[in-house]
Amino acid sequence: MSEPIISLRGVSKAFGDLVVLDDVDLDIPAGQTTAIIGPSGTGKSVLLKHIVGLLHPDAGHVFVEGVDVTTVSEAELYEVRKSMGMLFQNGALFDAMSTGDNIALPLRHHTSLSEAEIRARVEEVLEMVELPGLYDRPTSALSGGQRKRVGLARAIVLQPEIVLFDEPNSGLDPLTSDTIDRLIVRMKETLGVTFLVITHDIVSAAHIADHIAMLHRGKVEAFAPTAEFLRSTSPVVRRFLQRNLDLDATTAGGAPRLPHLD
Amino acid sequence: MSGHVRGFARFVGRTASRAWHHPIPTGKVWEQAWFIGVKAMPILLTMTAFIGSNLALQGYYAFKALGGQSLLGMFVSLAGVREMAPLMVAAMTAAKAGTEMASQLAVMRIREQIDALEVMSIDPYTWLVVPRCLGILIALPALTMMCILTLIGTAWLVTMLQLGESGPQFLHTAFGALTGQDLWIALFKAAVFGLLISLISCYCGFRSKPGPRGVGDATNAAVVTSAVVCAVVNYLISEWMYA
Ligand SMILES: Nc1ncnc2c1ncn2[C@@H]1O[C@H](COP(=O)(O)OP(=O)(O)OP(=O)(O)O)[C@@H](O)[C@H]1O
Ligand SMILES: [Mg+2]
Repeated sequence: MSEPIISLRGVSKAFGDLVVLDDVDLDIPAGQTTAIIGPSGTGKSVLLKHIVGLLHPDAGHVFVEGVDVTTVSEAELYEVRKSMGMLFQNGALFDAMSTGDNIALPLRHHTSLSEAEIRARVEEVLEMVELPGLYDRPTSALSGGQRKRVGLARAIVLQPEIVLFDEPNSGLDPLTSDTIDRLIVRMKETLGVTFLVITHDIVSAAHIADHIAMLHRGKVEAFAPTAEFLRSTSPVVRRFLQRNLDLDATTAGGAPRLPHLD
Repeated sequence: MSGHVRGFARFVGRTASRAWHHPIPTGKVWEQAWFIGVKAMPILLTMTAFIGSNLALQGYYAFKALGGQSLLGMFVSLAGVREMAPLMVAAMTAAKAGTEMASQLAVMRIREQIDALEVMSIDPYTWLVVPRCLGILIALPALTMMCILTLIGTAWLVTMLQLGESGPQFLHTAFGALTGQDLWIALFKAAVFGLLISLISCYCGFRSKPGPRGVGDATNAAVVTSAVVCAVVNYLISEWMYA
């Protein structure tokens, strides 16, 4: 494994009585794609928010590019964040702005590009997420899947070194999902971007990820290179993978079985 | 409660430090000032017009019994300028602009838009809070001036047309009683109220709990808290300036 660009050390987080992260250690390798899977409500989004410093752990440390984001000053945190782009699970678009203005926001704030250059760059990323020509569309007029992709475009518009995606594929049709997967692979290969992608879609994870981590009950249940992860013998992982593996059985004429997760 | 006081103090500290150290988004400041001023104007001027009319009526009947109708102008201008105009502006602004700030920011909070700004290294205090505070700081003194003129204007009309008293005499005592200091204090009050309303409302919005219920509670807390705080501060300023 190459040098970790993000490291979590003994990170614990509880909301009241609800323990969400319980002494989590995790190393995200630089320039590669790591997928995080796990049942709904186990704290995947919470984990991501610790990495960008939006949430503060009750215990433990989070290092991003060697900087401990749990202890740095606010000013330094803002510097570290400039190398990160994040897609929020719900898109987090600004409703009062057009699609293009949403994506242009980081460019307007952190570059000195002219309006024409900004527009060109935004059109370019819109193209990349297969939403050409939507620059002037009000965000309120976007579908769920479109909002997701606009959030995605906004996360990558500054070409950050680290990209955090919270469920980039959810709500997308299989073809668009494929496009996003290819986009991730291409950006990783050509620009050396580090991706950390939360997903429920094992097929997509298998395509894009070099490593997969599974979060379960506040712990990292398994973390391994993709091929190895898919062969994991951990019962929790097996049950989680089951559903996707069952698809073969279904198409072969067998009745689909519902996996049980707790 | 004490948690809120501490949280609010930190919020104010951050806002002040951003306003001081960061470049101020002047475009957004004027946008807010315009927004706050223009939106509040119709309701505010209507309310103050009828407060002016009633100050004239009540003053007239109270003084008439003592044979002091000539003091009417003075009564209207002192009560109106020193107390009513700034308080009315504060109340209406808390109800309109304040609730709007609180609900807008609360929605942004629960939809993770404020988090998104932070992750994009766009400071939400500089971008969202500072323009609202400075915008209101521009809008409120202007609104207060308009209120003062409207209030004295309607009182003058009522005095002349309804009560049949001398218009010029009313104006003479009204403006004779006013000093420049009264005007400055009124504008100062307006500015202080504006800052308080915007800071309290933005704070309530920022602290919103998730869900529609959270937004409703934040908006409610904003208007109640800022109205009460403004009334108390008004008393303190009057006590300090006029005692
Ligand atoms: N700010 C918060 N305050 C209180 N509880 C929270 C907060 N954020 C998350 N939680 C709780 O933490 C748990 C984990 O939430 P999280 O959003 O990380 O789940 P997730 O793994 O991303 O699930 P999903 O796959 O459904 O998105 C949930 O029970 C959630 O209710
Ligand atoms: Mg989530």
